[in-house]
Amino acid sequence: MKFLALVLGTVREMAAKATLYFLLGVSTAILLGVLLTVSSSVSTEGRTLVVFGKEASPPLAEDMFSDLVMKMEAGLTGGLFLGVVLFGVFATAGLIPDALEKGTVDLYLSKPIHRWELLLGKYTGGVVGIFAVILYFLASLWLILGIKLGAWNVNILLSSLLLTYIFASLYAVISYFGVLSRNSAIAILAGLLYLFVAAELLENRAHGLYLLSDNTIYHAVIDTCYWIAPQIPAMQATLLKSIAGGTLDWRPFGQSLLSSTALFGLAAWTLKNKDF
Amino acid sequence: MPVIEADSLSKTYQAGLIRRTKVDALASFSIAVEAGEIFSLLGPNGAGKTTFVKIILSLTLPTSGGATILGQKLPNDEVKGRIGYLPESHRYPGYFTGEQILRLFGQLSGVDGSTLDARIPVLLDLVGMGQWRKTKVKKYSKGMMQRLGLAQALVNDPDILFLDEPTDGVDPVGRKDIRELLRDLKLKGKTIFLNSHLLSEVELISDRVAILDKGKLLKVGTVDELTRSGSRYVIGINGTIPQAWETEARALVMDVQVAEESVSIGCNSPAELNAAIDLLRKHGVQIVSVGQQRNTLEESFLSLIKRESAS
Ligand SMILES: Nc1ncnc2c1ncn2[C@@H]1O[C@H](COP(=O)(O)OP(=O)(O)OP(=O)(O)O)[C@@H](O)[C@H]1O
Ligand SMILES: [Mg+2]
Repeated sequence: MKFLALVLGTVREMAAKATLYFLLGVSTAILLGVLLTVSSSVSTEGRTLVVFGKEASPPLAEDMFSDLVMKMEAGLTGGLFLGVVLFGVFATAGLIPDALEKGTVDLYLSKPIHRWELLLGKYTGGVVGIFAVILYFLASLWLILGIKLGAWNVNILLSSLLLTYIFASLYAVISYFGVLSRNSAIAILAGLLYLFVAAELLENRAHGLYLLSDNTIYHAVIDTCYWIAPQIPAMQATLLKSIAGGTLDWRPFGQSLLSSTALFGLAAWTLKNKDF
Repeated sequence: MPVIEADSLSKTYQAGLIRRTKVDALASFSIAVEAGEIFSLLGPNGAGKTTFVKIILSLTLPTSGGATILGQKLPNDEVKGRIGYLPESHRYPGYFTGEQILRLFGQLSGVDGSTLDARIPVLLDLVGMGQWRKTKVKKYSKGMMQRLGLAQALVNDPDILFLDEPTDGVDPVGRKDIRELLRDLKLKGKTIFLNSHLLSEVELISDRVAILDKGKLLKVGTVDELTRSGSRYVIGINGTIPQAWETEARALVMDVQVAEESVSIGCNSPAELNAAIDLLRKHGVQIVSVGQQRNTLEESFLSLIKRESAS
């Protein structure tokens, strides 16, 4: 009950900010675009994809046609991924620092809740808010493409959970820096640096970081960093592949669960010893 | 049985990342607050008043020493369900209305929904915020925030109430209302712990007062005990004081001030007082009362702090 109140209060806090509406607005525009411009025509030779009233594919057999739709979905989800993580960072990075601000934290912590509970409530609220946006986009996309093109791809619904999961891993990094600095700007910066620089460098370490030195200890350090940090690029890649019809590799998801939990524990521990 | 008990609480803040400076916000602070009393903690800015309350609420961890609240050893998060707190500089998420704030913090205190439905309108009316209940708090004025803060502190019907400068920014009528509210709460058996700089207000409502300076407890006692000036007495009389008495008395006691129907004398011992009384009787003056002269709480406070900084 207390926890639920904390989560719902946080979702409401997000809903009061413009960032989330911007993301919802962009999503709606894309959905409307798909709804209005994409259709298919059936002839004896097969099904043809029609975009802007023009044929965009040769007539295809039904299974090849759904392959094509899946690839489209993967492309759109890839775009969504970028939008969600980017705007997600902005929409959620302030939640924890704001709750820890002087005058506000006094109110929260004078209630019978534990410090880690406050942190978990804020974290969950942020993730739930982002999940709502992802679900809105992907469920609508699933419906639109299903109705208009007759291709019902259940993977896309499932991927809304996985996409949220990827965001949650990133949010663990942001939360940790949010607790450490109690500053939204630093939390945002940490999130973006992690997403676009650190995670990418670690993922592609064979073509970058490894080349800086041949030292085996150095390579071992880089590898360790890779294995203890949430593997966002790896999760993203396998998710998009699975939407396009490939099989999902669960390994980076499992690994990221461990690192996110560890990061969250570290954040809770940091918070436990703070003086307000 | 005391409901708040602090035993040699000390808090040293470390400030500055590179050049570490230490601030002793509290130094071996011990105190016991009884159930049902209005207890005020006074002291200059930076004396450590807020630090003490924060330690009791586990917002800050003590460097050494311990405390119990409602019989529970600190730190204890559950016991906070029975405590209300109005922080000195409280900030609410601005996109909530007053009503929503009370609901959120009520829920976080563990109060169930139907109780809140009934309690919230009553509380908002109690602090004079009924008409603003649907307004977003970012539009509230300072005094309105303070009133909402008070309602928030009461939302779980707490046994102990910690109020850090509750009347800060509140208009005179509101301040009087708050005083009355606190008296009502006391009648209901609540314990109230107050931090305040408004000594005239504190004097009006407090049962006991503690004075804190630079983290150290200087004095604790009832308002009566603190305002009693140890060495001045007022003797009420019928008629007028003969001029001769005044001259003779000046030789006996430290200081004499004659007023209409009374005389105030400063003396070093009860013997001097008695000698002055004997002298009055010798001059045929009718005595109707004898009592220790009182200072205002402010005067006592100022002289205590002055003495402390001199030593
Ligand atoms: N978080 C903190 N970090 C470092 N020093 C602090 C911190 N909080 C308080 N202090 C210091 O501790 C001392 C006591 O502060 P405190 O807020 O308890 O005073 P106060 O008696 O409430 O004062 P006021 O009447 O101004 O509210 C001050 O010297 C203050 O600078
Ligand atoms: Mg203070």
